[in-house]
Amino acid sequence: MEPVLTARVGKRDSRSIETYLADGGYAALRKAVTTMTPEQVTEEVKKSGLRGRGGAGFPCGMKWGYIPKDTGGKPIYLLCNADESEPGTFKDRLLMEEDPHQVIEGVAVSAYAIKCQLAYIYIRGEFWDGARILDAAIAEAKAKGFLGKNVMGSGREIEIVVHRGAGAYICGEETGLIESLEGKRGQPRIKPPFPAVYGVFGCPTIVNNVETLACVVHIVNRGAEWFSKIGRNEKNTGPKLYCLSGHVNRPGVYEAPMGLPLKELIFGDAYGQGMKGGKKVKAVIPGGASAAMLTAADIEDCPLDFDGVAAKGSMLGSAAIVVMNEDTDIVDAATNLAKFFAHESCGQCTPCREGVPWLYKVLLRINAGEGREEDIDLLLRISNQMANGMTICVFADAAIAPVLSSIGKFRDEFVARVRAGRAPAAAGVSA
Amino acid sequence: MSSAPPPPKDTFTVLFDGRPIEVPKGLNLIQAAERAGIEIPHFCYHPSLSVVGQCRMCLVEIEGIPKIQAACTVPLKDGLAVKTTTEKVRQSRAATMEFLLINHPLDCPICDQAGECKLQDNSFGYGDQHSEYDERKRQYPGFDRTEIGPHVIADMTRCIQCTRCIRFCEEIAETGELTFLDRSGRTLVWTHDGKPLANDWSACAADVCPVGALTVKEFRFRKRVWYLDKTRSVCPGCNIGCNISIESKDFTVYRFLPRLNPDINDYWLCDYGRFLSEGLNLHEVEKAATKEDGKVASPIVPLAIQRLAAEIKKTIAGVGPKGLFFLGSATLTNEENFLLRKLADHLGCPNRDVVVDKSRVRRMKSKKGWVEGDHAAANYRGARDMGLSPGAGGFGLSDVLSGAAKPEVIVVADGAFSAAADDAEKVAILRRARVLAVASRTANALTRAADVLLPAASLAEKDGTFTNVQGRVQAFWRAFLPRPPIRPHFELLLLLACELGLGERVWTPEDVRGLIRAEVPSWASVTEESLRGGPLLKKGDFLLRDA
Repeated sequence: MEPVLTARVGKRDSRSIETYLADGGYAALRKAVTTMTPEQVTEEVKKSGLRGRGGAGFPCGMKWGYIPKDTGGKPIYLLCNADESEPGTFKDRLLMEEDPHQVIEGVAVSAYAIKCQLAYIYIRGEFWDGARILDAAIAEAKAKGFLGKNVMGSGREIEIVVHRGAGAYICGEETGLIESLEGKRGQPRIKPPFPAVYGVFGCPTIVNNVETLACVVHIVNRGAEWFSKIGRNEKNTGPKLYCLSGHVNRPGVYEAPMGLPLKELIFGDAYGQGMKGGKKVKAVIPGGASAAMLTAADIEDCPLDFDGVAAKGSMLGSAAIVVMNEDTDIVDAATNLAKFFAHESCGQCTPCREGVPWLYKVLLRINAGEGREEDIDLLLRISNQMANGMTICVFADAAIAPVLSSIGKFRDEFVARVRAGRAPAAAGVSA
Repeated sequence: MSSAPPPPKDTFTVLFDGRPIEVPKGLNLIQAAERAGIEIPHFCYHPSLSVVGQCRMCLVEIEGIPKIQAACTVPLKDGLAVKTTTEKVRQSRAATMEFLLINHPLDCPICDQAGECKLQDNSFGYGDQHSEYDERKRQYPGFDRTEIGPHVIADMTRCIQCTRCIRFCEEIAETGELTFLDRSGRTLVWTHDGKPLANDWSACAADVCPVGALTVKEFRFRKRVWYLDKTRSVCPGCNIGCNISIESKDFTVYRFLPRLNPDINDYWLCDYGRFLSEGLNLHEVEKAATKEDGKVASPIVPLAIQRLAAEIKKTIAGVGPKGLFFLGSATLTNEENFLLRKLADHLGCPNRDVVVDKSRVRRMKSKKGWVEGDHAAANYRGARDMGLSPGAGGFGLSDVLSGAAKPEVIVVADGAFSAAADDAEKVAILRRARVLAVASRTANALTRAADVLLPAASLAEKDGTFTNVQGRVQAFWRAFLPRPPIRPHFELLLLLACELGLGERVWTPEDVRGLIRAEVPSWASVTEESLRGGPLLKKGDFLLRDA
C-alpha cells in the first residue's frame, strides 16, 4: 500500500511547512473552509467509516454528531489527544515529530467541522520534542494565514494551542485529559454527562486521537469513498498505523490497510520480518498493555482491526502489538504489566486504588516463587470484583486484562512457578 | 405546541425493589432511598457536598443498565427502577468493603472514631469478615498522627480517600487547604504545601470524615463516643444561633457537634463556637454569697434571694420603684429575660436594659448561602424582643454608667453580660448602688463586687430559647442537672419574682413561653414544634436518624 499517513516520514525536512505544501499540504483545509460547510465535512467523515484510533474505536463522525445543535452560547472545543500513554504505543509520536503539519491540518479541518474556534493539542509531558515541533509548526501555519482569526481568508477563526501534560497514564482517558487541561488533578469524570455535552470548562468538547485527526485530512482530500475502500470491511476502514515491538526482527511503526493479518505484521517482509533468532511466538499483546494477551494459535487468523481482534477476546486498542517469544516468562511479564497499572491508577475509586496494587503485590510474590496455588484463583477473584462498573472509568478493566488473559491462557506457568517455590534465574526483571 | 403542558409534578415515582415510592425532585438517590426506608451504604456521598461517586460503596442495579451503578451518581427520574438487594449488589458492596479494609490498620481499639465510624458500620452491615489479603499493609510514614491544623489531627493510615474533607474545604469553607497527593495505592489527603488546615470551620473537615483519619484534637481520647449523651442545643457563641448537640456524660460537656439546620448552619459549626464546649464545665461561682456591713456570708440560695427581695422592698418603700435597675443579658434565654422584664413591670420599674458586645463578624454557610453574625452573645435580639429596653421615663445602663442615674438596687441577671463586667472603672460605678445583686456562673470584677451573688447554671444545665440574627426562635434543652446549689438563671429569677409576688414556683420555661406568645407579636408563629430545630447527627454522618 502506498503510504498515506506516513508519506513524508523519513523525508528530508519532513517537518517544514514547505515540504508539506510541496506535497499538496493544507489542500484539505482550503477545500473545507472554502467549498464545504461544517456539516458536509462531518457527513464525509461519517460516510468514511473512520473509527477512533485512540483505542476504543468509536465512530468519529458519530461522536461529532453528539454535540448539541444549540450550545446555549457556549464555545465548542476540540481536544487532540496526544497523551499516547498506552505502553507499546508510539505512532502518534511519529506523526507529531515527523509530520507535524499533517496533524495540525487534521486538527484545523476537524475544528472547522465541529465549529470549534479554539483547539488544544494535549501532549504528554515527556514529549518535549513533539511539543516543541508542534509549536514551531503552528507558528509557521499562522504566518501563512492557515490558522488564526481568518483562516485562509474564509472569515473563520481557528486557533490551536499545545498543552503539555504532567505525565500520568490516566490523562489519556478523555475525561481525565479534560480535568488535567482545566488545571486539575487528572481524574476521570463520572459519565454522563458526556464531554460532547459537558466537557472542558463545562462546554461541549470533542476529544480525538492524533491519528484519527490525521485521517480526516485525507478523507476530505480524497473523499469518504476512497477511505472506506481501504480496509478489511466497511466497519474497519482506512489506513492504520501499527506499533510493532517485542521479539521481532524489525520493530517499528508500520502503515497498512486496516485489517492487516497479525501474522503478516510479524512475519511479512514489509513489516516485522519474523521472530528474532527464529524463535517461536508464545504470546502477543495486540493493543497495548490493557489488551488481553493472544496465544501463538490466535495469531494464525487474526486480522488487525477492531472487530477482528475483538473476535479473539482482546482488543485492537491503540494497535500496539507486543510480541513475546517462547523464552518469555509469562509470570514475569504479567507482573511487569501489573506494576505499570499499580503505579498509574489515579486513586479515586476504591476498587482500582486498592485492587490494582493488590494484584501487583500478589503477582510479585508469585513471581518470586513465594506464591501458593490458591493465589492464582485469588488473582482472578480480585480482578473480577474490580470490573464491569465497579469504577468510574475503565482503567480497572484495562488493568485486569493482562492478568486474566495471562492466567487464562498460561495458567500452567503460574502453577509451575508456585510449585517450584523459587524464581527461575532469568526472572525477577519486574521485582 | 398546541395545548398547555400538564402542571409539573414536584415528585418522581421511583421503584425501590419493585415498590413505588414518591420522592421529591432534587433529591439524590441515596436520600430518596432513605425516605423509602432503604439504606444505601456509602462513604463519599454527602448531601451538602458535590457528588464524586468514587468510594463505590453505594452500588445498586438500575433496570435497563447492564453495569452496576453508583447510586449517588444516578439522576432521579420517573419510573427509575432501583434494585438494592440482588446478589450482584451484595457481592459488589462486599467487594468494595474488602478493598477498603485490606490496607486499613483495623486499629479500632485505639481509634477515636470507633462507635461512630462508617467503616465499622458498613463493614458490619455489608462486608465479609473473611479476607485473603496476605500482603504488607500500606503505611504512610510522616503522614500518621500529625497535626495538620490547630484543631485537626490526620492519620492517613486510616483514610479511605473519600475526599469529603477536601470538598468541604473547597466548597463550603472556600479555602481549599486540603488536596489529594500522589496516586494509586499511595494516594493521600494532605494540606497544600504543608500549610495548616486553619479556616474558621476547620474541625468540620473532621466532622465529615467517615473514618478516624481526621479527628478533632481537643476531643481525642477524652471519651468513648458511645458513652456520650446527646442533647439538642443552640450554640451560645454569637447571634447566628447554630444548631448543636451537646455531648455530655457525668455532669461534663465533652464536645459540641453541629445539628442539621439548612437555614442556619446546615451540617457545619465554626471552630470558635465548637470549642466553647469546654468552657461550659467551668463553675467559678459555686455558692451564694452576701455582703452586709463588710461581712461576707454564704447563705443557701433561697435565703440570699430573700435578702435581695427585702432590699428591693425597702427601696420601693423609700424612693419608690424608680430606685431599682434591672439589667438583662444577651447571654440569657428569652424566658429569663422575659421574666426579668415582667418582674420590673410588676414592681412598676421602667429602669431596665440589655446590652451586647460586638465581636468580629462570624460567618456560617447555610444551604442558601452565608449567614453573618457579629454579637458576642447569642440572644440580644431575643432579649430586646422581650421588652428589655428602658420603659417610659426609665433609664438604661449608659445612664447608670455616665452617672446620670443613681439606682439604689441593681439586679444584674447575668454576670457575664458584657466585657464591661470585668472593667474595674465601670464596676466601680455600678458598685455605688446600695445593693448590687448578680447571678453568674463565671467570676469577674462584677461578681467580686456583688452584695448578693447567686450561683448560676451553664447552657448545658438549663432549658430555654434564643432568637438568632434571622429572628428564628430556637429551643435548647438541659443536658444534665447543675450540681446544687447552682441553679439555672430561670430558677433564680423565678424565686426572686415569687418573693416579690409574681408568678408561681412551679413555672417552667415552657410555661413562660406561653406568656411570651400572648404578649410578644413576633412570637405568634412560634410553636413548640418549630422550636425543635434540626436533628442530631453523628460525626461523619448525615442521616436524619430522628427527623
